[in-house]
Parts: sequence; C-alpha cells; structure tokens
Amino acid sequence: MTMRLVSAELVDSRQILPGQWVQSFHAPELASGSRAGQFVHVRTGDYSGLVLRRPFSINTADPATGIVTLHFRTVGRGTEWLTRAREGDRLDMLGPLGRPFEVDPRSRHLLLVAGGLGIAGIRMLADEAVRDGRQVVILFGAQSASLVYPSSLLPDEVEYVVATDDGSLGHDGFVTELMVDYEAWADQAFACGPHPMLKRLAALAAGRRERLGVATLGRKRGGGKHDPLGSTAARRKAFLQVSMEQTMGCAVGACLGCTVIGVDGPQRVCREGPVFAAEEIAWESIA
Amino acid sequence: MKTKKRVVISADVRSPKAARVKRTPTVRTIKSAIVPVDRTTRSGNVRPRVEIGGAAVADLGAPVAVRPSLAEREALDRIDLSVELAPQRGLRLLNPIMVASGTFGYGVEYGEVVDVQRIGAICCKGTTLRPRAGNQPPRVTETPGGMLNSIGLQNPGVDAVIEKYGPVWQGWKVPVIVNVAGESIDDYVEVARRLDGVPGVAGIELNISCPNVGKGGLQFAIDRDAARAVTAAVRRATDLPLLVKLSPNVADVRPIAKAIEEAGADAITAINTLSGLAVSPDRTRAFLGNTYGGLSGPAIKPVALRIVYEVAQVVSIPIVAIGGVTNLGDVLDFFACGAIAVQVGTAIFADPELPVRLGEELRAECLRRGLASYGPLVGTALPKRAGASSAKGAEYRP
Repeated sequence: MTMRLVSAELVDSRQILPGQWVQSFHAPELASGSRAGQFVHVRTGDYSGLVLRRPFSINTADPATGIVTLHFRTVGRGTEWLTRAREGDRLDMLGPLGRPFEVDPRSRHLLLVAGGLGIAGIRMLADEAVRDGRQVVILFGAQSASLVYPSSLLPDEVEYVVATDDGSLGHDGFVTELMVDYEAWADQAFACGPHPMLKRLAALAAGRRERLGVATLGRKRGGGKHDPLGSTAARRKAFLQVSMEQTMGCAVGACLGCTVIGVDGPQRVCREGPVFAAEEIAWESIA
Repeated sequence: MKTKKRVVISADVRSPKAARVKRTPTVRTIKSAIVPVDRTTRSGNVRPRVEIGGAAVADLGAPVAVRPSLAEREALDRIDLSVELAPQRGLRLLNPIMVASGTFGYGVEYGEVVDVQRIGAICCKGTTLRPRAGNQPPRVTETPGGMLNSIGLQNPGVDAVIEKYGPVWQGWKVPVIVNVAGESIDDYVEVARRLDGVPGVAGIELNISCPNVGKGGLQFAIDRDAARAVTAAVRRATDLPLLVKLSPNVADVRPIAKAIEEAGADAITAINTLSGLAVSPDRTRAFLGNTYGGLSGPAIKPVALRIVYEVAQVVSIPIVAIGGVTNLGDVLDFFACGAIAVQVGTAIFADPELPVRLGEELRAECLRRGLASYGPLVGTALPKRAGASSAKGAEYRP
C-alpha cells in the first residue's frame, strides 16, 4: 500500500511497563495495508510547539478489526504528549512507511531478536510468521526483569527466551549471547534494538556459515544469480535483517536526515530502511 | 511598471460568468492588482518593481460563507495569485507559496500524499557539480520551536539530477527551481551551465549560504564582494531566472543583498538556516555528526522577518521569504515586510499538505478582503518614510 495521511482514533492506551506504553488506534487503512517492519510518522499536538513528527514501528496490525498498535517509551515531550492523549482523540499519522522485513518463502524457522523497546520493531513479524505457519523463537534482552516484555502480549505459538543484563530473569547477560544457541536452528533472523546489539548480531551472522559448515544449510540461498545489494530479492536471501533507528525529519525520503552509513554510502532509514540486510550496513561506522 | 511579460492567467473578469456574482448589494471595485505600494527608498527607487496578479479590475462583492457556493467558488477562482519572480526573464508562479530546498527532495518524494502541481514552485535539494555523500549521522534533531539539520548537501550531482528528474519535471505544471551549491565560483558556474536549457528546469536558486559544509559556499554569503562575484559569474553563465539565497549568519545583510541585486540576480531568497548546536543526551559531545547544524522552523521566523524587512528597503528585485512559515498569518507577515512569495520548509515535515492549503487560504483571504490579488498586502509594514532606522545594531551606510 502506498503511504497516506490517516486520521487514527485512539481506542486504548495502557502502560505495559515502567515508562512504556501500548496505544491502540482505529485506522483500517493502516491495519490492512501494512507489513511487519514498516512504521508510521505521528504528528503530535500543534500546541506543544513540536515541529517534527515522531516515527514509530507498527507494533501490531489487525485487518479484521482495523486496529493498529504502537509501543513506545516516554523519552521526551513528544512521547509524553502521546501518553496524555485520550480515547476518542484523533491523531494524524503518515504511513505505512519504509520497507518491511522480507521473509524467504522457504524459511520455516524464524529467529527474532529484540533489545528492549526493539520488540516493537519485530512484534508484528511474529504475528505474520505464525499466520504463515512458521516456527518463531523470540530472543529478548532487557536491563532487568522489571523491563521484560510481558509474554502475555505475544502469540501463544512463539517460543520466548529472555536475557537480562543483571541476571534477574532468564539468561544472565546480553541477548546476543543467546544467538549462537539458535543460529543452526534458524533459517533466518530478524533483529531490532540498540545499534551496538545489531552490530554484534551482524558480526555473529557474518561468521555463521563458517561455524556451521556449508553442507546442509543455505547452499541454494547463497547460490544462483547475484541480486543487487539492497534489492528485495537480496534481502529475502539474507540470513540477518535488522531494523535501524535514526532521528528523522520527513520520513518520505525528501530531507536525507535519517541516514545511516551503508557499504554503498548513506542509506535513508525511512526509504531504503528501516529494515536492512545486515551486509548492507557499514558496521564499522556504528559505535 | 514592467508590463511586457505579463500574462493574464486568471479568467477574464468581464466574462458573462462574472456578471452572475453581482447579485450582492455592495459591489466594490478594486482599482489595481499591480502592487500599489509606491515607496521611495533611500536610493530613490520606486519599489517594488514587481507585478503580482494579472487582472487589473475585478468586482468581488461576494461574502465568504462557511461552505463556498458556486458563485463564491467562481469568485475565488477569479482571484489571481500568480506572481512574477523574474520580471526580466519570466518565472511566473501560479501562487506565491513555494516549498523550500532540502525539505521537499526533488518533488517526487511527497507525490503520494501531496498534489505537487498545486504548489507555487518547488526548490529542489541542493545540487552540486559532483556527487556528495553528505555529513555523518545523526543529521537532524528537534529543538524548541524548530530543528537543526546538517545534511551536508548530500546529492547525486547535477548530471544525475538532470538525467533522473529533468524528464519528470518537464511534464509538470509547477516550476522547479534547482538549488545550486558549490565550493568555488567555477563550481557554481559549471552547474548553472549544465542546467541552462534543460527542459523542466525553471530557474536556479543559488545556495551561497549552506552552514553545514566546510566549503559549502557560506564564504560567498558573508562577504559582499564574494557574493557579487559569484552572482555575476553565474549570471553570465545562464539565462535562467536566478534567485540568490541569503545567509542570516552575518552582521548586516543589506550590503550583501544590494551587491547581489547589482550583480544581476532576478530575486533574493531570505533566509537560509541559522548556525546552531545541540548537545548529546549524555553531554559528552555535540549531538549532530557534523557538530553544527542549521536551525529552521518557527524559532527563526522573527530573524527572517527582520532580514526580509531590511532587505526590502534596499533592493527593488522580488524577495522570496523563508523562515518558520506554518500558517497563513506567517505568510501575511512576510508579505507585510516586503516579500512577494514565501517558501515553506520545516513545517512540511509535520504537515505535508500545508503548502497547498496555504495557497487556498490566501485565496480565501483575498476574497474576504475584497482583493483581486494579494498585491495590496505586500510591503504594508515597511517604514513609511525613506531611510527609517533599523532595529539592527550595525546600521548599513552605503
């Protein structure tokens, strides 16, 4: 679906974790036209003097009810304004924007990796994968147990594995340390979270073939014709796709504000992204 | 008055259709759509020498209702918002609401949500001779009432722009003005030369004021002689209508504006962004990858108004105002200070439909005031006597 300006009615707003909110909006155009990985650009109230929209991943989208949800953390005036919106309020959303995750039709086992609020970036992919009959494991990392995304908000079909930095729940350490346990199982991996986490995952993904050997997995995927970097076909073949973040201006590709450095030069998160194949990103440029 | 190039675009006011709206008891006659502000400047010039609107006489008695009736729609349609930005060369806009360079890409990006043909003119992303990768991210951040950007003139180079977008622009009704940046006079001249004669390119806006690049041309905007030299050189290289965009990052902009006018620019755009800085959340460094960024948005509107106000008193070429326009009031403010067109920039990000809507609102405002064009709104706030002092500390004494 092409992007459009949508008036989305707030139907539910709840704080699910300290400082983290999930808001539901009635926006049938977005609910039926969006794919996992895409985002919306939300306009905050005029009176607050904020000149930029705020980009949010589409957390879930249900075409049957016309409901889309956004999951965000209050980090500034814009998100604080959002938490004060009331049921019945209409928000101006521009979307759906950006390119979605590309799942290889042959992939049966999807590994979804999320760091903190990054869960909002991959949450919808879990729904799509379950719908398509794929098996899903979500690896989730947070600082402590109090910030762990509630499993009740995930589809029953997914396996949910948690890591916490302080060891208060699940694996004691970073979520990236869980990756090696699942890399042989997974046909493809999809990640969203802090850039250092994505960088670590990309490094792991780059060495995956050598660790696993080439005998059983991925022989056909890598072979055949060479698809240009960044093309949908190339992304579909990529083992790891990441959803990147950047401060954003227009969100339609006009202002060139939201770039990240790719191996082929600057890439607009809003147009070429937010989802990229891991090999498209110049990871040495990421701190 | 220059009338040679005038093209009447609005419907003939004396057509039989026009007679139908004369039902209202009061029929006001608007004498002239040509700017009536005969103001003598210090140098004795009569300004502005620009023409706004084509229709000379119109009867506009219909009151503005909540929902426009057929007659009112006809009355609205008869209001002429067209404006000539380059009287010598011809750059006629159907309305004075333009979109600013850098905020609207090449005009195609917003195509799915905005009817770009209804915009007065599009200034495309800053274009340089060779491709540029731009600055390190992050490149944008919000600030109180505005934003900072330091894109760093990322663009594919003039040849790629012409090849990719020229054919698209050629099919458009809306004029596309290519914003040109460079590191040296030769750069500017070469880009202008390559744009000259390209179908779909309606004009050039000289960006001599990019604050985000070490050699982004800002050196040309802060020095009177350099500004004169680069403008004159580009003027010799092309017959395209030439706008020159002023930087606010100077003590006194007036001698520079005067030099640009003398060097042959058709119009002046004022202003580019103000140089600014934001600090990273952990306060260990500057936030933007390029350290400095250009401030835009409502925060800079008073600065832009001040500079338009000052420039309008020293030049007689058209002034295109830019800086923090978010509503019709802002547009009218800039008109009052002597601008004959405005550019909308940062506000597009929040409200992509704003430029088109402002055109419609301006039309309704003219109808409400019984004007056949917006010409009478221009320059109304300028000092009534020549040589009035400015609020600026550094006074310009030629």
